Amino acid sequence: MMRYWSSALCALFVLVAGSVQAETPVFNIAIRDHLFYPAELQVPANQKIKLLITNEDSTPEEFESYELNREKVILGGRRTVVFVGPLKPGVYPFFGEFNMSTAQGQLIAK
Amino acid sequence: MLLDIVVIVLRETLEASILVGVLLFVSRSADMGFSWLWKAVLIGALGALLYALNLGVISELFDDVGQEVVNALMQYIVYAALVLIIGVQFVYSAPLASTFKTLMIVAVAVAITREVGELFVFYSGFLSSEDRLLSAATSGFIGLAVGMSAGAIVYYSLVGQAHRRSLVLHTTVLSLVAGGMVMQATQLLIQADWLTANQPLWDTNRLLPEASVAGQIIYAVFGYEATPSKQEVTAYTLSILLILVVALIANWRSTNNNVFIAKS
Repeated sequence: MMRYWSSALCALFVLVAGSVQAETPVFNIAIRDHLFYPAELQVPANQKIKLLITNEDSTPEEFESYELNREKVILGGRRTVVFVGPLKPGVYPFFGEFNMSTAQGQLIAK
Repeated sequence: MLLDIVVIVLRETLEASILVGVLLFVSRSADMGFSWLWKAVLIGALGALLYALNLGVISELFDDVGQEVVNALMQYIVYAALVLIIGVQFVYSAPLASTFKTLMIVAVAVAITREVGELFVFYSGFLSSEDRLLSAATSGFIGLAVGMSAGAIVYYSLVGQAHRRSLVLHTTVLSLVAGGMVMQATQLLIQADWLTANQPLWDTNRLLPEASVAGQIIYAVFGYEATPSKQEVTAYTLSILLILVVALIANWRSTNNNVFIAKS
């Protein structure tokens, strides 16, 4: 019985260790003066990623991308999270819907 | 910039407007009058204001994915109300009038809360400058007028049809709008990482680019996705199947009853 529990614990440890190792990579994007910084961001392909988007402007913005199937409003002075992918290798444009003429960027999945 | 605002407002109002157009036709067929619409608009506007004022708090819920979760919940509520409306219309009789009106108020009020709430947030960005707010409001009015015209066109197109054809047409439009709600809700839950993300099943961007005007309109109204994932396609298919089952059962039950649409 003891052996059973110790093997179960070992299995649990491996699972937990595995999930920690496979933690979602995080990438930061800032919105400043209705522009994205960086406007071009390299991310790993075939894996889920987490975008931490900080809106440094005082006005709201909507992060949007047809290619990524994402849209999310970010209030002025706030930070938010957007999960993306797993993406096939390629270029994925995104934009700020509330300031489309300036707020443009792209993810490059490699 | 001004054209961008027209497009933003149009996109946000189109779905609710087409929904209102179809539901007004349904209530006309049921001789229910249009008074429920004002209640729905009022509740929806209040809901939108509350949503916009509390978006900061909402966004921080569930580890910063509250916006996705709350929006998805609202989409599911509209879907549920539309499924019930589709079912009830087949078995409708006068005692069901208040239930029918309540369902329509829920569908329209929640749709308005979600769409107009985002518009309130958008316009809050112009509050610091009176000139910019005025020009943004003018452009927004054009977008709103175009969006509402689309609803009016839908309404009058249905009124002009023979009864049986209009039944099929408006039920189809309601089903596609409802399916689009589930599609968008599923996408939001994937974005929140509540559902597992997968790579797209197909890419129809060459046939109909999602970024094109037509693509954006079909996205806004029917939840069109050029690159849907397995979860989105499954959820969409199941949502339409459920509507079909509900419509078939309700239609079957109505065959022996004197109901407002099936009788003609």
